[in-house]
Amino acid sequence: MGFSGNLKDFPFPDILQVIAKEKKNGILLVEWKDLIVAYYIKNGQIVFARPVDKITRIYTERVFPELLKKLRVKEESIPKIIKKYLLDRLGDREGIFSLIFGFIKYKSTEKAPIPIEQIILEASRKLTPMEVKRKISDEMLTFVITPEGREKLKQLELTPVEKRVVELIDGKRTVADIRKELFPTPTIEVDKALYGLWSAGIIKRVRRGKRHKPEGLTLDILKRIIDKVKDL
Amino acid sequence: MRGHVMGIFKEGLKPMAQQSPKEDIKKKQQKQKKKIKILVSGPFAAGKTQFIKTISEIEPITTEKKTSAKEEKAVKSSTTVAMDFGKITIDDEHELYLFGTPGQARFDFMWDILGKGALGIIILVDSTNPQTFHEARQIINFFESRYPVPMVIGANKQDLPDAWPPEMIKAALNLDTDDIPVVPVVAKDKESVKKALLTLLEEIYKEFG
Repeated sequence: MGFSGNLKDFPFPDILQVIAKEKKNGILLVEWKDLIVAYYIKNGQIVFARPVDKITRIYTERVFPELLKKLRVKEESIPKIIKKYLLDRLGDREGIFSLIFGFIKYKSTEKAPIPIEQIILEASRKLTPMEVKRKISDEMLTFVITPEGREKLKQLELTPVEKRVVELIDGKRTVADIRKELFPTPTIEVDKALYGLWSAGIIKRVRRGKRHKPEGLTLDILKRIIDKVKDL
Repeated sequence: MRGHVMGIFKEGLKPMAQQSPKEDIKKKQQKQKKKIKILVSGPFAAGKTQFIKTISEIEPITTEKKTSAKEEKAVKSSTTVAMDFGKITIDDEHELYLFGTPGQARFDFMWDILGKGALGIIILVDSTNPQTFHEARQIINFFESRYPVPMVIGANKQDLPDAWPPEMIKAALNLDTDDIPVVPVVAKDKESVKKALLTLLEEIYKEFG
């Protein structure tokens, strides 16, 4: 099971958001213009990156500890490798990706050198105004910090704008309110921060309260509609 | 919130100059029929017109125009510019109306017009095209902020080999487990369309029950 797409249509923060939410093992393969890179995923975290000459290699070398041995990669060099093949490329849109879950075998000890939420924030800082508008599309959106988000924040490095945005999120202020309070910070910077925090699962959209029951609508009518549709 | 949610409305009929008693009774019965409105929204080429066509008991009324944008022309030759309309008769007193809204953001004024009074919304996405997920998210944001009615995401084109699984579409749309349900859909298949519609109706039932 997996998915594929184009980085122009579906940039890194959105891909990483799915990886982080799914919390599975697998491989994200990106065919960049100049090389193919396999990103190794363990429990929704990026633990390694590796350029490959042939895609088939990732399917034949499935045992992660053995792979590291074969490549002679030391644990302390992994952050540098991830920086080179992932962080430095987060703003690049020339690439096709595919994500496949499963099939990689890990030990229990591998750790992600950089939390995926941090990578999501970094990737969101590199978005264009048009990309940001896809997610922060409505100034009436309202956010709240998630319980897990509070924990995650302790291990993340935020920019000054992101910090101020976090302070203003209270489940009541709308995007418009936050933009207004942070003026003269450019709107795009505020929106990028919201995009990153939302994609990283630190904040979530507040759903409006219980809806008003439409006048004249009874549960009996609803039941009749359900029965009718079932019988179609 | 700009709109007021009204799920049921009575049809007003203009008086006829001359009608037979039989026609008069028929008109009176029609006059009393209550309309329940459900919206089928979603990005361009997500399958809204097909969805309505599959379930409607009447041949849907569509307002299609030839596509003008280069990228859109490459996908399909015509698109909905105002709305699609389909109907399911519930009983002698009630009719379920399905309104399809145009997908492109430039027609968002139609979301505004049709969103008023909707009992619930089905938002369709093209599961094979992640670009449409962004548009779907914009539609969710729009309706959640203005007409917060029960919603269901229909992950359409699940019969195609490169379709994203519904659970990943849910993650891509920033939806939580207890948030808006995402159901697999094949808009050409009646049972699949029924299932999506029933999921929405059950959401509405839970909401008001």
